[in-house]
Amino acid sequence: MRFLLASCAALLAAGSALADDAVHLSIRDHKYEPARIEVPAGVKFKLLVKNEDPTPEEFESFDLKREKVVPPGQEIAVFLGPLDAGEYKFVGDFHQDTAQGVMVAK
Amino acid sequence: MSLSRWIAGAALVALSLPIAARADYHLRSPDEIDEGELELEHNGAAGFDRNAVNSNARSFTAEIGYGVNSWWHPELELGFERAPGPGQSTNANQVVWENIFRLTEPGEYWADLGIYAEYGFSTVGHAADSTLFGPLIEKDIGPTTQTLNLFLGKNVGPNQDNHGYDLSYAWQGRYNLWRAFSPAVEVYGDAGQIDRIGKFQDQQFLVGPVAVGSFLIGPLGKFKYETGYLFGATRASANGTVRWKLELEIPI
Repeated sequence: MRFLLASCAALLAAGSALADDAVHLSIRDHKYEPARIEVPAGVKFKLLVKNEDPTPEEFESFDLKREKVVPPGQEIAVFLGPLDAGEYKFVGDFHQDTAQGVMVAK
Repeated sequence: MSLSRWIAGAALVALSLPIAARADYHLRSPDEIDEGELELEHNGAAGFDRNAVNSNARSFTAEIGYGVNSWWHPELELGFERAPGPGQSTNANQVVWENIFRLTEPGEYWADLGIYAEYGFSTVGHAADSTLFGPLIEKDIGPTTQTLNLFLGKNVGPNQDNHGYDLSYAWQGRYNLWRAFSPAVEVYGDAGQIDRIGKFQDQQFLVGPVAVGSFLIGPLGKFKYETGYLFGATRASANGTVRWKLELEIPI
């Protein structure tokens, strides 16, 4: 049991440093704003997603391996990276036709 | 990560300590919490062996779950089982309450961490109840996702047939190719009672390829599948086991 707890602590303690500035993304009228967003490549960063709609949305991306519900009127944090330079698609799971975006890591 | 998550997870683990283990072939991820989503799930496994006495074991589950919040996902499961060998029938054998607690945000630390805890109520006369608990660990490495489950299980109640903890483990290494199809390799092992672990050949150990994928289905949500073939690598394991999982996630 002590080994297990120590291992868990080690898993949490290790890791890459976070970029200084968070990246901001909004959901309005079931669309992402901006729909094309630039992020730093090669570093871990925090993406803040704010839902300005009255209904929930789910930030989802197979490319980024993340999915997280954003309650109406609230902001959530998504930890991403380090990403290789390139483009990564994301969608709003609850409004897939309109909530689409691309994250460009450079 | 919030203190309340740790307290809730630890409390549930403590309460579930005296309960029994049940093995099934699918990995649990600490990141499979979907807040506000209803989940309908079916798991199945069918074992095959050259020795007829050890062949044709079957297990099936029907499950319903819900993402209560961003860190707790409970599920209620009805389990069916057919023992290996000729002349056996498939019967409901357990009602299981499963819980996943997410302790860390995906990607925030070196690895993602969660706790799994379940209690199984036996529906078969003179059979013990069961419990299973342990850590869920997941990490993305390049284009792959590595998931590890480490479980301790125990029988409990007046019908328990042993008093020790059983150690089981599972690992999946998945290459994230496409949403609809990603290949993976899985390992499942059961070392037996932790205070009397025997020779490796006397333990259950299965390894094999698995296909994993999902499809977005508009306002209905998402359909997920997993299917694979596990080769038994020890004499205590069936020569081969087909396993599958079908899941529907519905936002509500």
